Amino acid sequence: MSTLFLESTVLNNIFYQAQDDEIDMFHFARSNNLALLLKGPTGCGKTRFVEHVAQKINQPLYTISCHDDLSAADLIGRHLIDNNGTYWQDGPMTKAVREGGVYYLDEIIEARKDTTVLLHSLTDHRRELYIERTGEVIRAHKDFMLIISYNPSYQSLLKGLKPSTRQRFVSLSFDYPSLENEIDIITAETGIAQQQAQQLVALATDLRRLSDIDVKAAASTRLLIYAAKMIQSGCPINKAYQYCIIEPLSDEPETIKALKRVINAYC
Amino acid sequence: MEEVVGKIWDKWLTRQVSTDFPDSQIKLETIQSQLQIFYRSLGGDKTKTFEACEPRHVKIHRSTIQKIAGSHHNFHLSWQNESSVRLPPYIALFPEPSLNEFLYFWLVALTAFMPKMQHWLRDNQQATASILAKYPGLKKQYQQLVNAYLLTRAKPETLALLTQQNEQDIQRALKGEKLISKIAPTSLQPFPIALWLYPAPFENSASPEPCEHNNAKRKATNPNTDIKELKQRKKAQYVDEKKSTDGLLMFQAEALSTWTEQIDLDRSQSDEQEDDVDEIAKDMDIINLSRQRKAGAAGIRFNLDLPAEENDDLCLGDSISLPEWHYKKNQLIANVCNLQTMIADEIKPVELSANQQKLAQEVRQLLSMLALSNRPKKGQLTGSEIDLDAWINHYTQPVKDSNKQNFYLDNQHKYRDVSCLLLADLSLSTECYVNNEQKIIDSIREALIIFSEALHSLADPFAIYGFSSIRSNHVRYHILKNFNMRYDRYVRGRIARIEPGFYTRMGAAIRQSSQILSQQPSKDKILLLLSDGKPNDLDRYEGRYGIEDTRQAILEAKKQGLSPFCVTIDKKGNDYLPYLFGQHGFAIVRDATQLAKVLPKIYANLTLNR
Repeated sequence: MSTLFLESTVLNNIFYQAQDDEIDMFHFARSNNLALLLKGPTGCGKTRFVEHVAQKINQPLYTISCHDDLSAADLIGRHLIDNNGTYWQDGPMTKAVREGGVYYLDEIIEARKDTTVLLHSLTDHRRELYIERTGEVIRAHKDFMLIISYNPSYQSLLKGLKPSTRQRFVSLSFDYPSLENEIDIITAETGIAQQQAQQLVALATDLRRLSDIDVKAAASTRLLIYAAKMIQSGCPINKAYQYCIIEPLSDEPETIKALKRVINAYC
Repeated sequence: MEEVVGKIWDKWLTRQVSTDFPDSQIKLETIQSQLQIFYRSLGGDKTKTFEACEPRHVKIHRSTIQKIAGSHHNFHLSWQNESSVRLPPYIALFPEPSLNEFLYFWLVALTAFMPKMQHWLRDNQQATASILAKYPGLKKQYQQLVNAYLLTRAKPETLALLTQQNEQDIQRALKGEKLISKIAPTSLQPFPIALWLYPAPFENSASPEPCEHNNAKRKATNPNTDIKELKQRKKAQYVDEKKSTDGLLMFQAEALSTWTEQIDLDRSQSDEQEDDVDEIAKDMDIINLSRQRKAGAAGIRFNLDLPAEENDDLCLGDSISLPEWHYKKNQLIANVCNLQTMIADEIKPVELSANQQKLAQEVRQLLSMLALSNRPKKGQLTGSEIDLDAWINHYTQPVKDSNKQNFYLDNQHKYRDVSCLLLADLSLSTECYVNNEQKIIDSIREALIIFSEALHSLADPFAIYGFSSIRSNHVRYHILKNFNMRYDRYVRGRIARIEPGFYTRMGAAIRQSSQILSQQPSKDKILLLLSDGKPNDLDRYEGRYGIEDTRQAILEAKKQGLSPFCVTIDKKGNDYLPYLFGQHGFAIVRDATQLAKVLPKIYANLTLNR
């Protein structure tokens, strides 16, 4: 329900370091009215990328974080009641389709299946949104652009994008930035010393070797930035490593003990 | 009496000469899992296993009392080869347990930094230097370790002249003060350096003759006996034990009478049996070298006969005819397999052991943490809360249907609609040992019980079947629990009774399971296959035929709307499982002993309603 009255975010000076040609690809897709699918592990910069490009093209950004109770009505809109009786309230998607803007569905896999079907008519040549309740057909505004994202490492048999949905998107793969890029990102985000950033990235590289075997997900750039922020504000380095990086990665006491050894090897 | 005195004397003497601190001893098995994680995070090879090393003979200077006690002959030297890392089974070198523990981590760091050893002295020193350069945090700990370690080594002044120089060099090298690239040849070897790695006892025979410095190193580390063996080299080849998934000899038994066949010859333990080995080697054309020290553990089984009927499970009804996929003909051939459904009778009820209770409790906690519990269902006729959305929808309708008063949220409603059939591979290969105490089949038994506990607590309908096969005409399909049985002590009894035997004809078992599972009314149906290796059988099912048939059976299951998923303990699973189950259709559990813990987690991940 909270998403219903969501206003577009006003964005200023969003920092984003390009990894590859993703910004160019975004512009190509946009100029051809194509929708974009971003896939990549958690905390690698998908959302930041969307914020950045929305700011660049000077369009409002509507972000919806999908969850398993998110229904089509939450996106399209619903009837509400006031003193004069019932009236129709546009949902965030309808609003974006009418007025233009970047519409971003984060972690689309989490949403109910009926929401993904909604996207079909919007993402092919029709670019139309059907509102069943009111019988309205809205042709998308010329500045409307749809971006969805998901994290392919969540292994679930019951969830997954149907091929018919996937094949309506220009798809970009994201991964953690390269060594140099990641150091630059951390220093730019937090103002931490270059050397400290280097050590953080070296630690992350060590920990990422364990992903999918010992820990479920790899240490994300986001975690590194959190740790860097804590260090920058005076938190002891080994504590920041432990509480910002190790503990979020695993609940297994044995794994945590082993990872603490890795931290101790650095400081 | 003599025996008692002897024992006391031996105990006393051993204690006199022992330089260990038993109270602060750290065992490999207690920290092995931590070491493995540490090793992998430092960039070590993910496929290597960790094992305890056997003591190796080193000829060093011994005091009289040590000679009397017969100690200080053999030492646990750390080494690694392409498939494993070998560490001492325990370390009790220092009075502080923390130092003993750190030594383990130090050795593991060395193995990660020195995947292949070219030069024993130089490589150890270089790896030490690069570790300390990359991980500044280790510097202090390493210094502590070296300082404590040098106290345990003999003072150079107390040694004979030649060895004195060597010992001085080594001690300085350990402290990082000097880089040494050779030590003077002496009749006795330097005291083993616990902080360094040693070369593998036997080089891979496929590699060329050891080069010059390798030879020097061999002399320094290995007694001459090893070299003699190498000189006497025949056409040696390592058997890839990972390929053979069970303990059966892959040749006809009648051919055993000729020596030109394969004999499992355990070279890492061959010091004592040296003469025999020489004799045997002379008589054979090909010596198959075992990389697995417990080669004999899997055992050789000639007895392929079925168990006597009174000991066997009860056969239920006639056998079922099932088709099989012939990949060359590219078609499904009907009535190839005969599948016999069986159930164990006269079972005793089994209660959970204390350990299992604890595990089950942990798993239940985990599942409740993952919020697999029930969720409110909207738009119900009755319920504890009002569904405002439903009411508004109703209110805004121009024509109101007074029969549809479904304005409630029902918290009691069961949101999950998943049923699961677990199919366990009970072939003979599950009789292999995982470690000194446990067989794979023990891990499977425990995993099945914990899994049942987990699903029971989730209230998901589930069934458990086990299978094995002897050619196509006898596929044994054991009912451990079907969908209609209640999960109780007798189900546990049946699980406790499972025994490994025969082969793995996966296709037939999967087809039968799909058939059973597809009759379940639930929305999501999961076919979970628990396996330990590739499909195989005595006939053509080995190799490509088996793989293709299994793949076909899985495709058929998918067509029936089932979700097949494979959990395997076969470390080589990556080679063929993507082809069978798809890139995301399987999980490899590297440590079979962890199966009970991991299996419910995998299931939870698969069925999570996030």
